[in-house]
Amino acid sequence: MPNILSRHALLASAAAFTALAMWMIFVWAPTETNQGAIQRALYVHVPVAWVSMVAIVAVAAFSIIYLVNGREKWDRLAAATAETGVVFGALMLITGIVWARPVWGVWWTGEAKLTTALILFFVYVAYLMFRAYFPPGTQRRRLAAIIALVGAIDAPIIYWAADLWAEAHPPLVVGPARDEDSALSGDIGLTLLAGVVAFTLVFAVILVERYRIRRAEDDVTALRRTLQPTGADAT
Amino acid sequence: MKRPVIILALVAMLVSAGTVTAAAQGESGLVSGVVVAVNRDDGGGLVSFSIMDSEGNTHEFDVTGETEYGLENQAGDRWTATHADEPVAAAERLRDQQRRFVPLTVRFESGSAGSVVVTESGRLETNLGFLFAIYIVTWAAFFAYVFVMSRRQRDLGRQIEQLKELAGNRNGDQ
Repeated sequence: MPNILSRHALLASAAAFTALAMWMIFVWAPTETNQGAIQRALYVHVPVAWVSMVAIVAVAAFSIIYLVNGREKWDRLAAATAETGVVFGALMLITGIVWARPVWGVWWTGEAKLTTALILFFVYVAYLMFRAYFPPGTQRRRLAAIIALVGAIDAPIIYWAADLWAEAHPPLVVGPARDEDSALSGDIGLTLLAGVVAFTLVFAVILVERYRIRRAEDDVTALRRTLQPTGADAT
Repeated sequence: MKRPVIILALVAMLVSAGTVTAAAQGESGLVSGVVVAVNRDDGGGLVSFSIMDSEGNTHEFDVTGETEYGLENQAGDRWTATHADEPVAAAERLRDQQRRFVPLTVRFESGSAGSVVVTESGRLETNLGFLFAIYIVTWAAFFAYVFVMSRRQRDLGRQIEQLKELAGNRNGDQ
């Protein structure tokens, strides 16, 4: 019962914050001088990029816990986080590409921030493909954990890429290493914060549901093996 | 071979730019070029600006309360205003034009700018299309993923029913 209540509370808070963020983005936030209306892409692009980077770090953290205590729950959580994270990773790339076209005049450049973000997406895909095609068992779980640990190295590189290799992508505007000259002004910064909170909650809602389904899938597979020892159609 | 030619061309440009300056006082007309200087007062408001035309001549213009602006930002959104209403924004917009090396046209009279405009590219609607695409794609992806998860959940329900049936049959056999 408390589990259902907390899930509903999470869903309600995600819906409320999303509604608030959308109102702030389209009604409350001022139009930025240099880029005009298209700058409002910031409020989606930065939050989904933030979530996709946090997700790969979470996958690595859950993987470490699994490697330490060997409990399947953590491996399952890592897999669910990776699957949800790849959706946000894809959105980070798509929103960035569409935003780049009107302000840079190109869909894509080979600069560091974009390339490392693309690598993150490939890390997610590699992790999920490995899990999908490698035979189930302890070895798959351990190797997947190692892929996640290696992949997580990319997250801080993406974060600092614009500072390390200054090119077209603007410098850091949020986080501990933000450039004070480029720091966002009050209203824009507050709207971005609302967007980050909203998309983080959306991520949490999807992750919780994905984890529940994954657990049920594992239970069904185990039950099927018990009832059908030959397991012809076991997933 | 190319380097001396480029250097000579640059020197010639600088020399010619230095020799002819300032908008003709008491005249009126049109001049096009890129912004090379923006002068502001203590409050940040625009006082005067200079542009360099295609032949390297520099023209300096004062602004008045009636000076009109039609300038575009990097993304092509057009900003129109009268100087009396937004002197600080006018200075910032002209600095933006200067940074991006955007050619603009000044209609002037007696050394003062009557209007300062850039050619309208009319990209605002296109940019709104990009913005619309970003939000639509994002939410469509979330809903598509939730839809995929609900399909999986339905499949799981079906599998659980099959397993219950299988278990029931086994119990019946025993």
